[in-house]
Amino acid sequence: MQKSLRLLGAAALIGLGIWGWFYFFPSPEKVIRSRLTTLARTVSFAPQDGTLARAYSAQKAAGFFTPDAEVVVEARGMEALDFNGRDEIQQRALAGTRVLHGLKVEFLDINVTLGPDQQTATANLTGKWTLGGEREFNVMEFNFLLRKVDGVWLIYRVETVKTLS
Amino acid sequence: MEAKHNDSRWPSIVRAVVIGRRPKFTLVRILVLVAAVVGLRQYVLLPIQIIGPSMLPTYQDHGVNLVNRLAYRSHEPQRGDVVAVRTSGESIMYMKRIIGLPGDTVGFHAGHALVNGQLLDEPYVKYPCDWELAPVRIPPDEVFVVGDNRSMPITYHYFGSTQRRRIVGKILLCKNLFASSVPLP
Repeated sequence: MQKSLRLLGAAALIGLGIWGWFYFFPSPEKVIRSRLTTLARTVSFAPQDGTLARAYSAQKAAGFFTPDAEVVVEARGMEALDFNGRDEIQQRALAGTRVLHGLKVEFLDINVTLGPDQQTATANLTGKWTLGGEREFNVMEFNFLLRKVDGVWLIYRVETVKTLS
Repeated sequence: MEAKHNDSRWPSIVRAVVIGRRPKFTLVRILVLVAAVVGLRQYVLLPIQIIGPSMLPTYQDHGVNLVNRLAYRSHEPQRGDVVAVRTSGESIMYMKRIIGLPGDTVGFHAGHALVNGQLLDEPYVKYPCDWELAPVRIPPDEVFVVGDNRSMPITYHYFGSTQRRRIVGKILLCKNLFASSVPLP
């Protein structure tokens, strides 16, 4: 009984150690997934959110991008969008928060591929968004290209993926 | 004494129904059942909910169906098959019908699909359509998919050529399970 208790305790300790290692030293893929999920939460806003809160969110969202970031969105049935630079991204995000009643964004199935230098990465994901007051959601597949700048993963390009072309 | 008291509050018939006469055996059965369900979902049949009018009237909005993941193990996708096309994963997929195979040319004239210059017989298309699309050749290892509901302008319908590897499987049922009574356009 004593022996089995000791074995159980040792197994629990090893398990805790492994969990702690992955918790305190997450892989780059996990860090990127977490950042993108946070970005989706940041750009989302509820209809009752005030103007200041929305402006703060737009500013915060821009912080996820490099100063020279580019966002290119091309989809059938909508005008192509091309934003250049962090400032323009912030302005467009701010304009969006003024026009839209509300927005809920989710990034699903995030597949991260690290570059050979471990300093760049590509995240292939499905963006799902619902506009305030609407029941149906919209979907688009994206590639987010990221670069590690001063230890932080920043997005330097966003482009649409043509699932059907 | 306490255990005996609890036993009296826990009638044997209830215990037999909830955890069975042999709890260890019940636990094994539960584990096997969970493993079977997870395995079935992962490798054989994927349950899906259909959202949107793209496949009307064949498949109603908000209906439930199944994707057969094994359908294309022994043969390649065929023209007329309704398939699930994955995006970056399987959380959200497109449900479309294959009308063009690798090497085919596909176009639309006066709302009718033309495959290799021939009019494609499509009894499943019930709503009027006025699409015009110049013929495009399907690259090798790709198929051309489109929804059955082409009543909207061509720019509002998501269709086109997709890679073979994106096809998760074939839709199993001809009609949805639990089809809702959403009015048709």
